[in-house]
Amino acid sequence: MNIDEVKERAGPREFNPGDDLPEEYRKAATRMIQFHANSEIMGAYLERPFIRQSPSIDRKLAFSAKVQDEIGHGQFLYRAAESLGIKTREEMLDELANGKGKFLNCFHYPMENWAEIPMIAFFVDGAAMRRQATLKRTSWEPYAHAMDKICFEEGFHVKHGESIMRELATGSKKEQEMLQDAFDEWWPRIIQFFGPSDDKSTHHDFAAEVGLKTMTNDELRNAFLNQYLPKARKYNLEIPDEPRIRENDDGTFEIEEDDLDWDEFFTIAKNDYEPGVGQIEGRANAQEAVEWVRDAIEGDDQPTAGHTPTAAD
Amino acid sequence: MIWEVFRQKKTGEYHTHCGNVHAPDREMAKLFAQIQHGRRKPTNSLWVVPQEEVGEVDAEETSFGGTTDKSYRWSTAYNIEPPAKEVEESANEQAEAERQRGDS
Repeated sequence: MNIDEVKERAGPREFNPGDDLPEEYRKAATRMIQFHANSEIMGAYLERPFIRQSPSIDRKLAFSAKVQDEIGHGQFLYRAAESLGIKTREEMLDELANGKGKFLNCFHYPMENWAEIPMIAFFVDGAAMRRQATLKRTSWEPYAHAMDKICFEEGFHVKHGESIMRELATGSKKEQEMLQDAFDEWWPRIIQFFGPSDDKSTHHDFAAEVGLKTMTNDELRNAFLNQYLPKARKYNLEIPDEPRIRENDDGTFEIEEDDLDWDEFFTIAKNDYEPGVGQIEGRANAQEAVEWVRDAIEGDDQPTAGHTPTAAD
Repeated sequence: MIWEVFRQKKTGEYHTHCGNVHAPDREMAKLFAQIQHGRRKPTNSLWVVPQEEVGEVDAEETSFGGTTDKSYRWSTAYNIEPPAKEVEESANEQAEAERQRGDS
């Protein structure tokens, strides 16, 4: 199949590993799915230390289940990416460890306290779910199949995230203040989740033409704001003055793009943002620390000989 | 030799198990699968897999979903109005799975 035939046929779940697809399609799909897979893993690593800080046993159980799910989502997605024949799972994990692998802007920022958890577990997960729901109609069938399972699980994540937020928003004055502080800090990053507006997006056109993406950055951001701004207001969160958001009569929103820090965004996109570099290294160390487990499973090494197992954290 | 047969109705859907065929080799298995499983029902693609290559673990051997109460893992455990259509759909799928497992 040449690229014109691909564009001609492009539609939901249209292409699978049995199809002879041009390299251009397979590379674009690999870049997109690898980014998605990396983001699942880096998000899980960002949240993991907070399992221990959960305020109750119920939260601890649910939150650890959620983090475990995200690692599982990474596994599905590396499989879907691997099936394109461009990179192996091992290569993609190595790229994530050595700083070449790219992932979502929000997971480059450090997290310091429990009140920040709903920023990821409700808003970022909600934004991700908005996007993932549209990817059930992506043209790479293994990617769409991964989305079926991921979206099935995400409903629990988003509702649980909101449950954490409700607990804080209806808690002590101190808890409410901490939640508002977290929201002030995270809100611009959450808006940037969907990337720059359509006319500045570099990869969109091709991905849309071959059916990998089904909605634009602006459409997704609009849909997200429509659904999640009311939730923020419901919990008495004050929406920060910047970025300025104008609500149109037709229910769409316009963001004053200049109010957002795009230098920081593109520094992050290159994996050059300092806290993010630390998070990449932290995960790389964890990957290395449990190499003996992988060796033991593969059975091609004597894992305990002369080697003291180290903890992953 | 027995080959298990999986049928996909339309492009993009899952291959689901639909029966098996007797055949001496893979080529014959693909042919018999077409004749026996691909003719009447809507078919876009068939897979044939040697039966002896299929590994199985069943509910007698293990407890799928674990042996402890994991209700915290389900969206039905949270009294939250779903913020968006896709969250509601996911929650409905989970409620349906819970009902089918007989947990609720």
